[in-house]
Amino acid sequence: MNGNLHEFLLRMKGLGRRQRMDREMAEELSFHEEMLRAKLLREGMAPEDVDAAARRQFGNARRWQERLRELWQFRGVENFARDLRYAARALRRSPGFTTVALLTLALGVGANTTVFSMIDGLLLRPLDVPHSDRLAVLSIKLRGPIPNYTFSEPMFRSLERRHDAFAQVFASSHAQLQVRGADGNQEITGQYVSADFFSALETAPLLGRTLTPEDDRKGGNPAGFAVVISEPFWQSWFGRAPDVVGRKLTLNNTLFTVVGVMPKRFIGTDPMQRPALYVPLATERVLNGERNMTDFGFHAWWLEVMGRLQPGVTTEQASASLGASTHAVLEESVPDAGWIKTQETHHIQYMAEPGAKGFTYARMAFRKPLVAVLALCGGILLLACLNLASLLMARGAARERELATRLAMGATKRRLTQQLLTESLLIAVTGTAIGLAIAPLVAQALAALLLGGQRDAYLDTSLDIRVFAFAAAASVLVTVLIGLVPALQATSSSLNEQIKSGSHATQAHERKRWLPRVLMSFEVALALMLVVGAGLLAASLVRLYGSGAGFDARGVQNIAFSMDHEKMDADALMRFYRTVSDGLSQLPGVRAVSFARMIPLTQEVWDQDMAAPGKPSHDIDLNSVAPNYFSAMRIPLVEGRDFRWSDSPTADKKIILNQASAKLLFPGEDPLGRLVKVTDDEKKATYIVVGVAGDVKYESMREPAPAAAYFAMSQDDGKSPSYSAVVRMDGPAGPLAGAVRELVKRTAPGVPAPVVTSMQTIMNDSLSAERLMALLSVFFAACALLVTAIGLYGTLAYATARRTSEIGIRMALGARRAQVVGMVCGQNATVALSGTVAGLVAALLASRALASFLYGTSVRDPLVLGGAIVALALIATAASLLPALRAARIDPMAAIRCE
Amino acid sequence: MIREKQEEPGELIQGTLEMLVLKALARGPLHGYGVVEWIHQTSQQVLKVEEGALYPALHRLELRGLLKAEWGASENNRRAKFYQLTAEGKKRLEAESQRWARLTAAVAFVMQAS
Repeated sequence: MNGNLHEFLLRMKGLGRRQRMDREMAEELSFHEEMLRAKLLREGMAPEDVDAAARRQFGNARRWQERLRELWQFRGVENFARDLRYAARALRRSPGFTTVALLTLALGVGANTTVFSMIDGLLLRPLDVPHSDRLAVLSIKLRGPIPNYTFSEPMFRSLERRHDAFAQVFASSHAQLQVRGADGNQEITGQYVSADFFSALETAPLLGRTLTPEDDRKGGNPAGFAVVISEPFWQSWFGRAPDVVGRKLTLNNTLFTVVGVMPKRFIGTDPMQRPALYVPLATERVLNGERNMTDFGFHAWWLEVMGRLQPGVTTEQASASLGASTHAVLEESVPDAGWIKTQETHHIQYMAEPGAKGFTYARMAFRKPLVAVLALCGGILLLACLNLASLLMARGAARERELATRLAMGATKRRLTQQLLTESLLIAVTGTAIGLAIAPLVAQALAALLLGGQRDAYLDTSLDIRVFAFAAAASVLVTVLIGLVPALQATSSSLNEQIKSGSHATQAHERKRWLPRVLMSFEVALALMLVVGAGLLAASLVRLYGSGAGFDARGVQNIAFSMDHEKMDADALMRFYRTVSDGLSQLPGVRAVSFARMIPLTQEVWDQDMAAPGKPSHDIDLNSVAPNYFSAMRIPLVEGRDFRWSDSPTADKKIILNQASAKLLFPGEDPLGRLVKVTDDEKKATYIVVGVAGDVKYESMREPAPAAAYFAMSQDDGKSPSYSAVVRMDGPAGPLAGAVRELVKRTAPGVPAPVVTSMQTIMNDSLSAERLMALLSVFFAACALLVTAIGLYGTLAYATARRTSEIGIRMALGARRAQVVGMVCGQNATVALSGTVAGLVAALLASRALASFLYGTSVRDPLVLGGAIVALALIATAASLLPALRAARIDPMAAIRCE
Repeated sequence: MIREKQEEPGELIQGTLEMLVLKALARGPLHGYGVVEWIHQTSQQVLKVEEGALYPALHRLELRGLLKAEWGASENNRRAKFYQLTAEGKKRLEAESQRWARLTAAVAFVMQAS
């Protein structure tokens, strides 16, 4: 056997049997001594001399045993264990330092790992399908800088047929399906997928087969409609039944047959979705009944289209080939020649971009906030490390005397360094472990914040182990390196000098300590940057809320009725809604009830081109509302009248404009009683203007209120039967949900329970990215301020403690307490001042990156900059005052006598 | 490591003690005291191994796997730790003896040169 290995194994064996080995060594040596004594006796030595002679010859048994023990020890390991115990004791003795150190590290590692894992999951990780690098996402270049990523069904079918540069072109779209179970319908997230979806993604099913072109036909394959299910759904719905293939599922009242099960790692093409059901695109017509998207033809853009490149074709070539086929595809799929002509003057063009990571809208929405959050986290980690560095240094400085004493007592420099490093290591490892423990909590909180109102979205919050390993390794390394500085500093200078000077009045030592001060200045600068950033984002958010939506969201509840699967004609529908309205009005606290098809700020748009006769047409955002909508939402009715329930479908069609559209369609004229015409569909319906309402933000808070118009709900054709009730009420909204469910059950038992949300929530959700950024940055800025305060306090407190006798002498010589306070504070003042100046310059340079997040706020907002400086000044003062006051309380006699 | 009784001082080459210990154990298991005695007797009272060096050497050899130790009864019926060569130890002894023979022969040649 290898000698070293043998040695190692024997020592390992020895580790656990330390006491027994000690006993045996003693026994072995005493046996020897006894044999020696017996021999001396045999040789005729007098018994009284034997003891002394044996001892002389044998020497000190204890010393020999000590040497044997050393031989058997893992010296490194056992010293390390001793250092660890010592370090733990030392850290327990200074709980303030330990808490700060651990918390900063935990926060740094935990938050960074979480955010980076999320960014990785959302932005960086390729789809888990074979050769994902050969996938491409298709888009349409229209007016405006951002391409359009949705296609109409005829467009996609045309692209699917002429897939020149692609082996396959496939489409998918989110589907919310009602699956019939034992106890009623259940909403399950699924996906419409086209014929080649599965063959292009090249993933084999776990059971059965995937969907084929056979299935993606009107009426399904000869055997009926096919559905492929996900492994988690197989688990939850069928309990992993092995005979699941061939079983039936009722989706939106239509019978489907399960033909296959996809493995868990297969998630389709959207990393933010976990579809449980994959249904053929052609079944959309059946599943969505009268309201289906397919029949809207080129008017409905709802499909996300991807392709797998032909072997040897690059994405650029594919994009060029798509661009070249644009006209042919448009000719084939758009019946409106005028539309094609308009678009072609704007250079409409199909394009392809790399699609290895699939496609998700969230990527566009979350990229900036996530990257910003990562930057904030990185800043905090840096801050944490700086803080730890200066604290450890200050600690090292304060411990110089202890270390010098230990050096004098015979400890080697190496052992001392080792021991100081052990202390840093203990901090680093414990902090990182806490970080790991809190990371899942951070991840969940962050995911909840990011997703806000999106109920069916999925954000992968699983921690990436490689990321964690990196963050952990980095922080451990940093801490250990930082630990090295005071260790070397403390053991470098000559021992005598250290013991002599100790905490004496000499100043020479103090000047050397520039490093902690530079670090602290840096920290102040960084903290100022974070505070400025947070201030700007918060100010922008306040201004966004303050800018007003045009309506009063407080006290308004929304009740969304999903009526798309009800077979009701327009009359029955109106009767249903009027019954609901009457029922709701009688509830306690309800002030006003109305209905609207589009709820503002939900990012949904319904628009058409309209024109006054003989005038150019304009794009007008639309809504269809019931009487009382304007009073319920507190939107001012500037002119004319509100709708009435008596505005029947047979009467003239009424319209209410907002101020913006009135100005656009009838510049300088009174619009009341005038006619407007829809210009972009075949019916060319005409409406008569009965009123003008105030402007209201439509799609989101960030955009100014657009030109909009309202149709009368009572004149609705009933093709889009889902409306939301708008209820203005006093008091809590809690009872509303129950009452409404009861009401619906009584009037229309088939309708799913309506969803109640407050208008305030919708408003908040529409600002979720801004809120998230503002919230997180304020949180991080608060952390930064706290960490900086602790750092400033810690370093100053240590420095002052070292100057106790100097201060004592100064006071004995007549220095007044106020002077002492000033002197101590002055130290931090220079640090804070230089840090603030540096931070201000850096913040001004860096804040330009924030400009795109800001609403009505300049990156040089004097209020924010001033506030940030004041906040830091206050923190620095508070952190300096405590040690300064303590210094001022020094009793000169006691301090000098201490020497 | 090795103290010579004779007046002429001379450094024994490093590792010699370990070789002597291995040699002492070549004829069978011995306890530490037995090793000292055997070397003392066999060297005609010239070599006296110091206890403070012997035991570390024995334990070092044990750690390296050249010796194995067992507790047994001594000639006066006390519990004693007996050391014994392992196969590895025997090989090492063989190598060391050859090395030693070459070395002494070489030194002798040099010293006899006229």
